[in-house]
Amino acid sequence: MAIKLEKVVQTFYENLEEGKITGRKCLKCGAVEFPPVYACNKCGCWDMEWVEISGKARLHSIVMPAALSSKPEYKALGKYAYGEVEIEEGARLNAVVRGINKKKRAEMLEKGLLPAPCHASIYQRDGYKTVVFDLDEE
Amino acid sequence: MPEIMNQTHPHPYRRGVSIIGVGCTPFMYTVDKEETNGLTEGELFGYAALKAMEDAGVSPKDVDFYFHGEASPLNGSNYLTPNIQIANWFGMKGKASIHHSEACCTGYYAVEEAVNAVASGKYDCVLTGCVEFGDSLAVPNHPYKREKMTMEKFLQTTAWLYDRNYTRSLMAGQELIYDDAAEWYKRTRGITDQEMDDTLNWMCINNRRNASVNELAIERRTYESIAKEKGFENVIDYMRSPYNPKMGDFLRAGGLELKCDGAAAAIICATDLVDKFMGNKSHKAVEVLGIGCAACEATTPHFEVTATEEAIRQVYELTGVKPEEIDIFYANDFIITSHLIAAEIAGYLPYGEGWKYICEGRTAYDGDKPINTNGGRTSFGHAHAASGLADLYEAVRQMRGEAGEGQVKRLPKTAMLRGYGGAQNICTYIIRTAE
Repeated sequence: MAIKLEKVVQTFYENLEEGKITGRKCLKCGAVEFPPVYACNKCGCWDMEWVEISGKARLHSIVMPAALSSKPEYKALGKYAYGEVEIEEGARLNAVVRGINKKKRAEMLEKGLLPAPCHASIYQRDGYKTVVFDLDEE
Repeated sequence: MPEIMNQTHPHPYRRGVSIIGVGCTPFMYTVDKEETNGLTEGELFGYAALKAMEDAGVSPKDVDFYFHGEASPLNGSNYLTPNIQIANWFGMKGKASIHHSEACCTGYYAVEEAVNAVASGKYDCVLTGCVEFGDSLAVPNHPYKREKMTMEKFLQTTAWLYDRNYTRSLMAGQELIYDDAAEWYKRTRGITDQEMDDTLNWMCINNRRNASVNELAIERRTYESIAKEKGFENVIDYMRSPYNPKMGDFLRAGGLELKCDGAAAAIICATDLVDKFMGNKSHKAVEVLGIGCAACEATTPHFEVTATEEAIRQVYELTGVKPEEIDIFYANDFIITSHLIAAEIAGYLPYGEGWKYICEGRTAYDGDKPINTNGGRTSFGHAHAASGLADLYEAVRQMRGEAGEGQVKRLPKTAMLRGYGGAQNICTYIIRTAE
């Protein structure tokens, strides 16, 4: 497949507007890049195709927001934390995960609940939509 | 576990490369004092460059090329090409140079770039220097006046460190810089919240003790003396108190950099030409054995840990040096946690035990496992680009036995320095005193 000059970033955000969370799948090794980019970081191949991700994911670590690590606009997220998220397709990324406060984190760590199931959600920011994750209901 | 990533296997240098001279300004809040208010880029960089040349025993005529690092030249100095503006300040007018910025890792890539230039055979002797006004901004349309950097402006510019397409939008990568490494360490080593808190505090205490005996450091009051002044008998009680508030999930105020102004420089030449360049200088050269580099953009989970593991793997593989051969360790610790995790990943401190060494004071300059003997970013100060070369300045002075009151107990022969920054570059190198 020829290397294409294409608007990957804009397409990703336009797909979110249409309710679809998308990544790019390597046609050689099958790895999924999320968020989407031109080439596969697993095998180096640049033959990629757009795929809609399932949204299923697992949370591997939890860091709570604090004075240095939050912004006034993040209040709209409700209860949230940051952490390492692994999507079902295999990609791992730092992400916001809603549904966690300090008490919930303490409970999860005490019960050994990591990695914890979560799922991707489309979240409206000022002027565009992005992706956050929500802890699955128990 | 951090995600498996791409790896590089660098080759040995085509010829040996040595550091023969170092120079460093005091780290300062220049605009706060009459005697320093009004200092310029050329004056700071020029001072460090000439001190490095004097130390090496070379003249500007001996130097073929220079590397110029500044993390944020447009913001801090109103310059797009800051290297061009200052060559005449240290006698190198007309000689070629290049500017580079890797943010807080700039002073480490300053060594990587300079060493590569000499190792390739193109140049025999180069200058590498860095300058930063981390605490002040150039006043537009005035030849030398500067104004204090507000926290609002600082945070506005640090946001530029992060990917605009995804990371800023996803809201996590840029916020995890403060606490991700502490969360990773606590979880993987199985220590308690209290033990993690105390470890972070003891790193601050040890850094400050180191800075208290370093005349170039920006903050030299020990935490013990501050605690006593505030009515605390025990320094750790002070560090756990609201005087040292939690700013992050784990991180307290004392664990953050003291952003400031400064410059540092080094003269680097081919090892087989050391005698020619150094003439009758009596100190030994310090050879660069190898450098490992990696980078993880901030959406990568555990970016600092992952990139540090890769860079350190490279430098050990390249040099054949074993962790037990490292006598002294430096880590860019603008977030204090860095110096714990980097030292453990390097095997300088034993896996899962590093926190104990720190809490027992063994990593202070008078301990058996010294780390950041200049005081680190939380006490020596952080003039962003320049700090990495200030670490090299300190390491070289220690290896020569020239560190005065802050000299470590056993003369170090081999040092590892790990740079970090720019959301996020890692550059790690090993240097050894020449036989």
